[in-house]
Amino acid sequence: MLQFFKNPSYQFVSKRRIAFIISAIVILAGIVSMFLQGLHYGVDFAGGAKMQIKFSQPINAQDLRALFSEKDLGNPEIKSSGVNEYMITINTEIFDDPDAVLSEALSGLNYDILQIDKVGPKIGQEMRSNSIKAIAIALLLVLIYITIRFEFRFAVGAVIALLHDVLVALAFFSIFQWEFSMPVLAAFLTIVGYSLNDTIVVYDRIRENIKIHKGKPLGDVIDLSINQSLSRTIITSLTTFLVVLILAIFGGQVLFGFSIALVVGVVVGTYSSMYVAAPILVMWGHKFKEKEEPKKK
Amino acid sequence: MEVIPGMAKNLIWRYLIIVVLLGWAVYSLLPTLQYERLSNTEKAALQEEGKLFDLESRIIKRGLDLQGGMHLILEVNVPDFVKKIADNQSMIYYNFMDKVDAAYSESPESDYLDILLQVAEDDSIRLSRYFPADGRRTDNKSIVDNLEKECQHAIIRAEEIIRNRIDQFGVAEPVIQLIGNKRIIVELAGIDDPQRAKDIIHNTALLEFILLKDAEYTQDIINRIDAAVKRISPAEIAHADTAVVSQKKSADKEISVTELLGLAETGDPRDDASVLVDLDIAADRPFSALLRNLGWDIGVPVENYYAVNKILNDPEVIRLLPNDLRILFSAKTQKVQTTDGKAAEFYSLYFVNREAGLTGEVVREAKAELGSVSSEQMGRPIVNVRMDAEGTKIWARITGANIDKRLAIVLDNRVQMAPRIQNKIPNGRTVIEGFANLQEAQDIEIVLKAGALPAPINIIEERTVGASLGADSIRRGVQSALIGLAIVALMIIFYYRGAGLIAFTTLILNILFVLSILAALRATLTLPGIAGLVLTMGMAVDANVLIFERIREEYLKGKAVRSSVENGYSRALITIFDANLTTLITALVLQQYGSGPIRGFAVVLFWGIIFNFVSGYFISRTLFTSFTHGKKPLNKISI
Repeated sequence: MLQFFKNPSYQFVSKRRIAFIISAIVILAGIVSMFLQGLHYGVDFAGGAKMQIKFSQPINAQDLRALFSEKDLGNPEIKSSGVNEYMITINTEIFDDPDAVLSEALSGLNYDILQIDKVGPKIGQEMRSNSIKAIAIALLLVLIYITIRFEFRFAVGAVIALLHDVLVALAFFSIFQWEFSMPVLAAFLTIVGYSLNDTIVVYDRIRENIKIHKGKPLGDVIDLSINQSLSRTIITSLTTFLVVLILAIFGGQVLFGFSIALVVGVVVGTYSSMYVAAPILVMWGHKFKEKEEPKKK
Repeated sequence: MEVIPGMAKNLIWRYLIIVVLLGWAVYSLLPTLQYERLSNTEKAALQEEGKLFDLESRIIKRGLDLQGGMHLILEVNVPDFVKKIADNQSMIYYNFMDKVDAAYSESPESDYLDILLQVAEDDSIRLSRYFPADGRRTDNKSIVDNLEKECQHAIIRAEEIIRNRIDQFGVAEPVIQLIGNKRIIVELAGIDDPQRAKDIIHNTALLEFILLKDAEYTQDIINRIDAAVKRISPAEIAHADTAVVSQKKSADKEISVTELLGLAETGDPRDDASVLVDLDIAADRPFSALLRNLGWDIGVPVENYYAVNKILNDPEVIRLLPNDLRILFSAKTQKVQTTDGKAAEFYSLYFVNREAGLTGEVVREAKAELGSVSSEQMGRPIVNVRMDAEGTKIWARITGANIDKRLAIVLDNRVQMAPRIQNKIPNGRTVIEGFANLQEAQDIEIVLKAGALPAPINIIEERTVGASLGADSIRRGVQSALIGLAIVALMIIFYYRGAGLIAFTTLILNILFVLSILAALRATLTLPGIAGLVLTMGMAVDANVLIFERIREEYLKGKAVRSSVENGYSRALITIFDANLTTLITALVLQQYGSGPIRGFAVVLFWGIIFNFVSGYFISRTLFTSFTHGKKPLNKISI
């Protein structure tokens, strides 16, 4: 029998302060970056036109940029997306007819439009508010479900862990200025689902162990539970991590944002279920359960 | 050794359920496999037999992102629509609308009618003076409510007309759908000319027959505009550089629009573009300096188009123009030899009545063709129009009363042609020309037949995917799914040996079931859907890992193989249930609130989780149990 961990007994709960400091640093860095440079919204949320164009002759990004500036057609964002293939993003606030701008700038060149994403500012705004609504509703429903299946403090721990994951992932997207588009939002919700999955597996063990080891300090029970589910956590996370990494590498430009969000999410989700969700139970316990526990002894 | 007879007896039932499930999966997926293997000629043959449609209705539909196509969301252009139905347009009205437009351009994401109401209340404007009321209630709120209702009516009629247009355009299985009471979704799969399709869908196609103003009147208007431009432009142009003029041997000079109009920098780079100015007259008559005399028509050199348009849309200029006048450009440019022998391109500028004598509503028939050999339009693309009885009467009256005058045939505010009326036309027929090619004439035929849109329509969202990119996305998606699958297989078989093989089998079955349900439900597989499939693989592995770790724990505690397996499965069940159910909640929320592409992801994730219970738990348990419940009890376990 091949085993990564033979009877592990790592201490998780006692290291929570270090973990909290690390999390706080990342999230703070994210918040600072959000204030300084914000999120790099894609056209889905910001409005605008993004066009993927393949040229039949070799051309580089600088020459392309020159074509736009020579004809006074503004300064679109131009990114390479393959051999002689570019993503050109035109801000529609300045130009209301991106098709015309494009055909004027590129007149005389041979090209194929592979893809157009054009979103009006009103739709972008709507998508932003709908997304926030979706995440809020998902979190609320999860909170209710966990309260029913476990206890309220478990729900609080899980939701804090989820917020933690979303904030960390947002920090990455702001710091590295990865494009935040609709698929990325779906990835964020998937992160929520995935991290929850991990958290619940650990919680489930804790629930079970609290019944078996009555009288043991909660911290010890939590450590035991995390250790017992450690090899499952590592194997599942590792497989999922590899799968989404493959998606990020081979999935192409279209799926990149989506898969990179998942790569970050899998790592953070695993970390948070061990170092955030579980220890919060102890802190909550200190506040509210301390008085009850000695009586039981 | 513990014996669990219940499970063994159940096995036969479990096998039966699995066989039924597998049978269903194969049955659902067969049409898709069959379809994928067909060549184009075979497809054509099936189509002739009428069987292709039946087959296509049973395969997994590919989303637009995978097969290429166009997705549009259309909305009534409220600012234009409101202006269209306004009457009694006074100075106060123009000032008021300018203010509304300015406020709207500052926050384009807010509702135009809300802003209209707000500004009207702030400035105590009585909206009932300019906009129609519904019934007797004429307070501002009721007027705006009525405008809102008009917009909704307009979009409902627009949906019908767009459907007609697309039907005539000929696209297989178009999706045209009203969402809410404001928007229309149009989805067209596999079209090769998205720009043409877009034009057909959202061009208003308002056909108008309008009399031209006479030459004296027109000259008077031009003089007035000259005076206005001179007032607002700086004196600089007046002192033009004569040296440059003499070198060029022509009175035309290039200056920028900003210089010409003395405008504040708007940040629009087109303001810096050059225009051609006739310097001989630029000082006195800056507007006329942009125009050229083309015999019967007033020409606008293409370089000056932007500048002229800008002047004509200047609020100062609009204000001094009479209410019964419209100034329109020609639809096409024409090449004309100028005095210095060079060919230059010109638009024509027409000064016409505001009220159209006749509109496209009277069109009963339209037919695009090339002008016949004997006719004036020999070989040129034209559209033959025949009017209904009412239209024929009016047409006869207009043509009869205005012989020798010019009449503009206008499509969407662009003049197609402006012929001189030679005779009274009693039969309700006319010919429209001025098209670049036959295809354009055919497109006009389509829109004329389907009717004009009741309101200007905006495309507020467009997603177009070329067929080649779609094919590429499928390739990449399938490729990463296969690589992912291989890695998962390697890892779990390496770590769990025999049990890993069971996990891998259930993983494959899970994917198979999800694809089957997509085919059975006629759901659409999108690129995010494939990503959802990849994620489902992760979830399916997790279920097995949870179970196997439990079995190992029991086994290492010294329990027998059978009871280790039994206990492992039953103890992991609750964890799998809770974990999957929370993800299910997320998938459902996504399905409810997500937009198109996200829904594709959520649907796959939803079914992935459902089948995870079936495959990752039920089938996995059955397979595992049948290995451990053989005639000889196992002493060792490959896990």
